[in-house]
Amino acid sequence: MNGSARLRRLASYAFVAALVVAAISCNEAHPNSTLTPHTDLGREIDFLWDRLLLLGTIVFVLVEVVLIYVVFRYRRRENQGTPPQTHGSTKLEIAWTLIPAVILVFIAVPTVRTIFITQAQAAPGSLEIDVTGHQWWWEFRYPDYGVTTANEIYLPVGRTVNFRLRSADVIHSFWAPQLGGKRDVITNRTNYIWYTPDTSIAANVWNGFCVEFCGASHANMRFRVFTVTPQQFESWVAGQKMPARFGAVGPAAPTTGPIPPPHEGPAVTTPGGPNSPTQAAQAAAHGIAQQSSGTGAVGGTQPAIPRPQNAEANPRARLGAAQFPSVATASAGVAPGYIFPREKVPDYAIPHSPIPPGLKFTAGLTGNAHRGLKIFSGAACIGCHTIAGNPMAMGTTGPNLTHVGSRIAIAAGRFPNTAAYLALWIKNARAMKPEVIMPTLGLDEYDPVLKAKVTSATGGLTDQQIADIVAYLTALK
Amino acid sequence: MATTARPAPKHSPDAYGEHSGLWSWLSTVDHKRIGVLYLYTALFFFMFGGVEAIIIRAQLGAPNQHLVSAEFYNQLFTMHGTTMIFLAIMPLSAAFFNFLIPLQIGARDVAFPRLNAFSYWVYLFGGIFITIPILFAVAPNDGWFGYAPLTTRAYSPGINIDFWVIGLLILGVSSLAAAFNFLTTIINLRAPGMTLMRMPMFTWMAFIVQVLLVLAFPVITIALVFLLFDRFFGTNFYNTVSAGADPLLWQHLFWIFGHPEVYILVLPAFGLVSEVLPTYSKKPLFGYPVMVYSGILIAVLGFGVWAHHMFAVGMGPIADTFFGLTTMLIAIPTGVKIFNWIATMAQGSIRYTTAMLFGIGLVALFTIGGISGIMHASPPADLQQTDTYFIVAHFHYVLFGGSIMGIFGGIYHYFPKITGRLMDEKLGKIHFWLTVVAMNLTFFPMHFSGMLGMPRRIYTYDAGQGWDLFNAMSTAGAMIFPIAMLVFIYNFFVSRKRGEIAGSNPWGAGTLEWTIPSPPPEYNFAKIPTVTSRYPLWEGKGIDYECARINSQEGKTPADLGIVMPYSTIKPLFVALGLVTMFCGLIFARALIGVGAALMIFSLYSWLLSPLEPEHH
Repeated sequence: MNGSARLRRLASYAFVAALVVAAISCNEAHPNSTLTPHTDLGREIDFLWDRLLLLGTIVFVLVEVVLIYVVFRYRRRENQGTPPQTHGSTKLEIAWTLIPAVILVFIAVPTVRTIFITQAQAAPGSLEIDVTGHQWWWEFRYPDYGVTTANEIYLPVGRTVNFRLRSADVIHSFWAPQLGGKRDVITNRTNYIWYTPDTSIAANVWNGFCVEFCGASHANMRFRVFTVTPQQFESWVAGQKMPARFGAVGPAAPTTGPIPPPHEGPAVTTPGGPNSPTQAAQAAAHGIAQQSSGTGAVGGTQPAIPRPQNAEANPRARLGAAQFPSVATASAGVAPGYIFPREKVPDYAIPHSPIPPGLKFTAGLTGNAHRGLKIFSGAACIGCHTIAGNPMAMGTTGPNLTHVGSRIAIAAGRFPNTAAYLALWIKNARAMKPEVIMPTLGLDEYDPVLKAKVTSATGGLTDQQIADIVAYLTALK
Repeated sequence: MATTARPAPKHSPDAYGEHSGLWSWLSTVDHKRIGVLYLYTALFFFMFGGVEAIIIRAQLGAPNQHLVSAEFYNQLFTMHGTTMIFLAIMPLSAAFFNFLIPLQIGARDVAFPRLNAFSYWVYLFGGIFITIPILFAVAPNDGWFGYAPLTTRAYSPGINIDFWVIGLLILGVSSLAAAFNFLTTIINLRAPGMTLMRMPMFTWMAFIVQVLLVLAFPVITIALVFLLFDRFFGTNFYNTVSAGADPLLWQHLFWIFGHPEVYILVLPAFGLVSEVLPTYSKKPLFGYPVMVYSGILIAVLGFGVWAHHMFAVGMGPIADTFFGLTTMLIAIPTGVKIFNWIATMAQGSIRYTTAMLFGIGLVALFTIGGISGIMHASPPADLQQTDTYFIVAHFHYVLFGGSIMGIFGGIYHYFPKITGRLMDEKLGKIHFWLTVVAMNLTFFPMHFSGMLGMPRRIYTYDAGQGWDLFNAMSTAGAMIFPIAMLVFIYNFFVSRKRGEIAGSNPWGAGTLEWTIPSPPPEYNFAKIPTVTSRYPLWEGKGIDYECARINSQEGKTPADLGIVMPYSTIKPLFVALGLVTMFCGLIFARALIGVGAALMIFSLYSWLLSPLEPEHH
């Protein structure tokens, strides 16, 4: 037996294992790691995990080493007689009943302590956020601020956030791995989870996921969490409370945070065309599509979205509403409050999903946001979507689009929020995301649910009309 | 002992050469032949579920792949789980229950031979019923756990879930009938002197599993009947579109069944490995009574841990504490089993046969699954683990590293008893090492992808999430499994025809089943043995060896020995066919309900009025 050689081999294995552990706990390459907690809850869990991993590794190594030793040491040899016919050993068996029990005490005690700490009621003064899971997107409401958003939430660092979780349809589960544990979002129930983002993680983006299987597009039910400074958060809230700056002419919102430069003007050139906003020949807008009634609404209790009660308090909100619909050209879509600068969004938070094959869009079209507003307000869109400041758009089945232009992703994190993806999304959402409830809107596109092509009689939109809507939505910063 | 040169057997070792016609298989009531039917059918479904897994892994091999659609992927993972649990591992265990229990306790058959045939046919037809839809892309698609309200008509309007609800109800009939049969057999048909504490450990674990089945399957049956009523008759147990329904009712009912089910899947493998390790170590099982008690304790505690599947549900701190602690407790008897197996091998004389390698593999790999199990027994820690790939890694170490390794060990160990011939050891070892490499390469990286935040049950994932490497590793590992299985299948079928003649006790084992010829005659024991110890061939008294001598004689017919054998009958097959036809009527054409019910009642009546065996003279 050359035990020292085996020991050295084991040591080298341990070293490789340590390297792997070091590599995977590196934050850069692993943006969703549960091993780098950034909240109080995350750290409580990580403390338990470290202990479990340590004790588990010790037990694992001991058992496997003893097993390997026994298997090699007692292999059958030439001319070996019958081995000793032992039937058991009470002492040994008591020992290996008690030792695991003692180890478990070291796990059980901190476990129970952590359960009661983390499941206590959230501290008073916490930021309340109502989370509603829908097939397959997330609705976030800030009841204290009258703000509603979808698939993207902003959290101020250093302040406890208490998520109140409800479902509009089936069971989902709410999880941002770097921030803390998950909690199921259950039909006919209200669940809670709370944690406090560390102050060190201000101005960062984290991925979130639905982690309870909820149907065809379960994999496409993602969200983004922006952890920002309290000042940035206040500015963001101020901006979110008012309608989008589209059409509004007013001073920049008071903010201490950086105001991002406009990424794209309201005139948007559709994919395939040149990137410069050339004035392509624009066909006169034909009859605005009739509103379709097919919204594919699902049942379930749907909490009412608060109407912008802040309209009274905020004169600029009223201004925006009053100017509708006489705006000829939209002002440059500068967001009224802080939004996370798009150029700082890390790669892991920007979706990379490829465009499904077979989807095409006319190249070179230039959308007009003002026309887009009119088309949007007369099309099926308003049956499901709310846009504060647009009195026609009050639907609550789909995501609130008030500031959709400031979001980094569409379709619950499946595609990046750019004109190219948005145009295809409006044209044929059902090809872009399996079984999505949003109907197909592009003229002559095939709708797999209705099992028919969309015609102008059923509300089909031409590519030019879609380009106009894209220009409108993109301007809603 | 028979490990050296043996004389050629007097009768053909080709399994059941004299009764090999199709009719004899359709009408058999012989527990050994029914066991063989279970074995073949379950191996087929095991490979079917394996193909599903390979498509799943191919899709996940790289980010944003679109080999299959989201809809079909959801059918694949649902049917992979359903197939492996209900159509592969449970029936593979049932194959051993059937073949081994009567042989290990010294009985001529199970207590109810015709009910046994009925169980098999219900399993076969139910398996076909639940498997066919995936060929037409209308398979169940809401996961093997079928969480309501997703499974209610409002959110799953198609026939996909109908197949799942009805298929599981059908399979439940099979499991329950078999469980009552084996319970009765073990309690009533033990040979003289075969006290409970002398029973071979496999039979003990089988006994515990039957108790679990009898207690757990009624719960899932109730849960499924509620769902069936919701879907077909408009009741509101889980139908949350109406007020008052509670989707958590489903979760509790499902997991009260679902957790004991885990032990239903793994305890038979524990039993098999408890036969394999002593045989090839030439030592009795270490701590036999403790192994029995730990098995019982696992079963009892197994009914008190179900809500550890629901720590993210928000049950509150008291419930989380209770279920967390009971789950930790269950690690103690499980650990005792591991340590006792190692102690069985210690100081032994270990022969590295393929069966032994699989047995050692179980001890080594199940340990990993057990330790990761403790990691999510802690409810707060579980909040970062549940519904991620960490859990997928955990239960594949339990079910592949535990159940499947044990079952393969059992197949290599008992193949000579079943067929009369030995499997090729060289190919067997290639199969073992390929399986170990594939298993670890596939499932170990899942620990990492899970802790790095990858959710379960997603048909695709985005690039740049830090999961690409580990998924590529898992997919590479999964592609090795088919090679390993091809080696196994080749070995299995070639050895069945041309393997070395085994003789009654090729491994020098100590229990009753090795006292009789291989394959055993239809009556099993020419003389019902008298048992004086746990290993009659190792430590028995004179009477044990005398019984063994008589029973090892070959070539005697039941008539020679004056043994009355039950009649063959096709009636159980028709009862099963009627039952399944009746259920098919719910989906296809209501008229079938009447046709099926008529066939079932008529066949059952005819079965009950016909005698089991000729009158004794």
